[in-house]
Amino acid sequence: MMKLAVFWGCRILTSQYAYEMSIREVFPKLGIELADLREAVCCGDPVKSINNFAADYLAARALALANETGLKDLLVPCSRGHFVLSEVNDSLTKDETRKRKITDLLKGEELSYDPNVKIWHVIDFLHDRVGLEKIKKALEKPFKGLKLASHVGCQTVRYSDLGRVDDAENPRKLDELINVLGAETVDYPEKLDCCGAALTYSHLDAALSLAGSKIKALQDLAVDGLVVSCPACQMMLDAKQKDAGTAVGAKLNLPVVYYTQLLGLALNIEEEKLGLHLNQSPVNQLLTKISA
Amino acid sequence: MAKVGVYVCHCGLNIAGVVDVEKVVEHAESLPDVAIAKHYAYMCSETGQSMIQEDIKKHNLDRIVVAACSPRMHEETFRKTVAEARLNPYLLEVVNLREQCSWPHSDEPENATEKARELVTMGVARVKFLEPLEKRRISVEKNVLVVGGGIAGIQASLDLADAGFKVCLVEKAPSIGGRMAQLDKTFPTLDCSACILTPKMVDVAKHPNIELLTNTEVTCVSGFVGNYEVTAVKKSRYVDEDRCIGCELCTQVCPVKVPDKINEGLSETRAISIYSPHAVPKVAIINPTYCLRLKYNACGKCVDVCEAKAINFEQQPKTIQFKVGGIILAVGSEVFDASKMPEFGYGRFKNVISNIEFERISDASGPTGGKIICPQNGEPPKSVVFIQCVGSRDKRFHEYCCRVGCMVSLKQAILAREKLGRNADVYICFNDLRAFGKGYEEFYERARGLDINFIAGLPSDIRSAADGSLYSDVYDRGINKLLEIHADLVVLANGLVPNSDFDKISELFRVSRSADGFLLEAHPKLRPLESPTAGIFLAGTCQGPKDIPDTVAQASGAASKAIDLLSSGEIELEPLRAVVNKDSCSGCRICESVCPYNAVEMKTEEINGVENLRAEVVEAMCQGCGLCASACPAGAIEMQHYTDEQVLAQVYAASLKTEARGGSPI
Amino acid sequence: MSLIDLMSMAKPNLKSREKFLARLGGTELVNCFQCMKCTSGCTSLKLLELKPHEITKLVRLGFVDELASSDIIWACATCLKCVQRCPQKASPYHVIMALRNLAVEREANVPEAYLKAVSQILETGVTAPVQKVTTKKMEVFDRESLKLPKINAPKESFQSTFLKALEEKQ
Repeated sequence: MMKLAVFWGCRILTSQYAYEMSIREVFPKLGIELADLREAVCCGDPVKSINNFAADYLAARALALANETGLKDLLVPCSRGHFVLSEVNDSLTKDETRKRKITDLLKGEELSYDPNVKIWHVIDFLHDRVGLEKIKKALEKPFKGLKLASHVGCQTVRYSDLGRVDDAENPRKLDELINVLGAETVDYPEKLDCCGAALTYSHLDAALSLAGSKIKALQDLAVDGLVVSCPACQMMLDAKQKDAGTAVGAKLNLPVVYYTQLLGLALNIEEEKLGLHLNQSPVNQLLTKISA
Repeated sequence: MAKVGVYVCHCGLNIAGVVDVEKVVEHAESLPDVAIAKHYAYMCSETGQSMIQEDIKKHNLDRIVVAACSPRMHEETFRKTVAEARLNPYLLEVVNLREQCSWPHSDEPENATEKARELVTMGVARVKFLEPLEKRRISVEKNVLVVGGGIAGIQASLDLADAGFKVCLVEKAPSIGGRMAQLDKTFPTLDCSACILTPKMVDVAKHPNIELLTNTEVTCVSGFVGNYEVTAVKKSRYVDEDRCIGCELCTQVCPVKVPDKINEGLSETRAISIYSPHAVPKVAIINPTYCLRLKYNACGKCVDVCEAKAINFEQQPKTIQFKVGGIILAVGSEVFDASKMPEFGYGRFKNVISNIEFERISDASGPTGGKIICPQNGEPPKSVVFIQCVGSRDKRFHEYCCRVGCMVSLKQAILAREKLGRNADVYICFNDLRAFGKGYEEFYERARGLDINFIAGLPSDIRSAADGSLYSDVYDRGINKLLEIHADLVVLANGLVPNSDFDKISELFRVSRSADGFLLEAHPKLRPLESPTAGIFLAGTCQGPKDIPDTVAQASGAASKAIDLLSSGEIELEPLRAVVNKDSCSGCRICESVCPYNAVEMKTEEINGVENLRAEVVEAMCQGCGLCASACPAGAIEMQHYTDEQVLAQVYAASLKTEARGGSPI
Repeated sequence: MSLIDLMSMAKPNLKSREKFLARLGGTELVNCFQCMKCTSGCTSLKLLELKPHEITKLVRLGFVDELASSDIIWACATCLKCVQRCPQKASPYHVIMALRNLAVEREANVPEAYLKAVSQILETGVTAPVQKVTTKKMEVFDRESLKLPKINAPKESFQSTFLKALEEKQ
């Protein structure tokens, strides 16, 4: 049994429950044990806009909490969290003074920052560490005749110089993870476009328009659903799909699910355990097609 | 007792504006063995030089110190001055009071003057230990190897051959012509490229002084300037060059299709074919990777139709060895592979092509007979979009500007307009538009007059709609609008990049590479035609991206340099070499291993009946870098003109350990 | 500097610029040659008129103060496309985030939602209160009813340390 520490961040713990549920169901079935950190705390993402130092402190603190578990691997299912935690190592390597100050602050909390924790996202952990073969072997109910699109999100794949989860211009890992479940994936011109989540702090309408444009474009493609892997993206594309439709003047009807929810279905886990009843988009369309 | 003359130059105000030259002269006069010390405005002028010569005669001076600008500027000049006055030119020391004194310390005149005094003290201390040296003359081969048969190699070969030199032109492709043979028209005149190139190609083939070796690569170069030994391998064509008449019947019957290299893979040729439409020599070649006979002992249809009986499947590669006095590298460059920039869809979308592919499409002898069409459906495009700076001016790939991209796109846009008429929209998306040469700005004006739209901005990406049509958002900073442009054909202005085999070239010919990866010239401003290695010259885009006029100029220049070097049949070598003291040498071979110029040979010598290995420096190869002398653990190597005694005299004078009041520092 | 913006009559403030560039660690992040690649692909251009190339140029010329008090710096969607594709390895994103920090220090124009998030973190450790979610069938769930483990708030020392971090001048 491989053991992973998990940093859930804020959105998953306070509203995007389906992601947490589906991960907690799916990972043990693949032989992975998850260990929570001692406390729930923000990675620092919104604080980047307020005070970069304080943001780095929060990010380093998250890594320090991971260090406390004694585990070498940290799963960060939220793409924004994954980006923030990946960037802090870079920023503290370049700024010795800041590193010292933050290390001192953490010392005061009896925490120690460790840049050597390996930071994983759900996508690269499943694709690179667990591997497609192992996932395939574990499947109990692979799909047939399903056509899906993937939305890997901005902060999972950009910016390359930092070392990201997948290739920035041609990300394929999430597609391959979907393919291994037995579903076909389609490419679409808007694939790398942003869901708009970060703009909800200041420009909600613009955020909804961005999400709405993406869903609209996908609907024109006649796919059975959209697969995401980040709670911010899910919030925009699923939870706010109706409002997004209003923002772009279109009726939006696209099932949007977390990859782990989809994987859970192929592993024959009950829909309720995967939190599928919590999705706001019309996932029943998708579920019907799957069980057909 | 030496008699030293010290001359302090004002260099106008360059030195005198900061350093108090009178004080320096006063100080020089106080140094032991200084017979005379003067200062003057421009020592390098005729008056200044005459001054030194008169003093040598009048005062029997036997050592000269000139305190002036960098020795790189005028050491040669002053050596000649001194030599004309019958004093050995190596009894001269140049002290740098400009680049190493007045210029860096221009805001501290007092300290600069003090430093100038110390530098002169050091120079005087050293000059007294200098020994007279003689340049050595060696005889040279009056023939030249030209590597690369593009326009640079062709031009250089013709210039050398016309000057009476024997030239061996080695080209690794089956035909000469290079990149220019792939072009449709050339800017800014829109001359047909083949029309201006092919006569020169034929001249090369016919010239009695040029030996043309195509399908050949250089595999080994040894020796030194004036006496290079070259080994080349002529690969097998499997066709006899003397028999083949170029009728191409063999190509017509060959069943195996292969991607056509000259057309950048846009069309197919056969396993046996003539390399290009204007090939010189016009001889077929068999591709051993695809030929059924060579791989499986099958087929052989070509033999049946060949009336000249030129096909020979048993043909072996031939090793050729020859001696040359100089080598001109004209190995060209490659085109950036835009699949490295996936945001533009090259490699994913068929209708996104590179500029060299457009050139082949536009060429009447190319894959489409000169018709501009979209590769995806073969239809003429209604909208053509050019995107500049692909792979160039880009810190992710190549930082330099490719120099020709803008002119190439202007040319191709004009050709597109001419061939497609008003039925097509033509756009050029640019960052800066560079039209710097003769007639180039006028060419830009010509393009603007043809209703070509210049979009002032680069797109972030190219997208393909479901029906395969391409579109892109571009922000034009001229009108401050985000424009969505639909394109049937996108042409990327890929830059010229260093060849992927430059590491091999670098090692083979002992040429270094500059930071941008191209071959390094001896001096970026004043010596652009030579490599730092004596006898090896550079021509064309291998030294840096450039257009045809600059390539031809550089090629003729390189040829002229080679002629300079070799025409007298003899060359002079600087005597600043390493010398091994055989008595101290233990034969450890460390010097051999550190020498970057392969200038150390190990010789077996019999001493008292015992065979010993001793190092010996090959004078002609030695560049005087000093690595061997510093590496030698036994201190057995000394540098002529930089002996331990001479250098230490300077060091001690600088540290005031032993004043320069006579006495060897050793 | 000897120039003036005739539309706003503003002059560059070189002191602000030097201080700001020091924050950025030099001029690398504003090493822009106005190729428009970032703006052509900017997520926030069409809807919010954000032009990343304009931000970098205004910083270079010294109009940092105007930028810090503007609304436009809050329009960035943080999609990172500009960082990914810039041929000069400049980073409008990082510049914008630094301008936001400056705006906060000067108490100019900061969208409330960010300040709310910060105070929420101080209070509970996370950016939002734990929510109840309603399904399409109008059922209401929370962490407990979904059998999800309880969340532990950060230990006491966190609040004061985070506050200290927030006071750090850059």
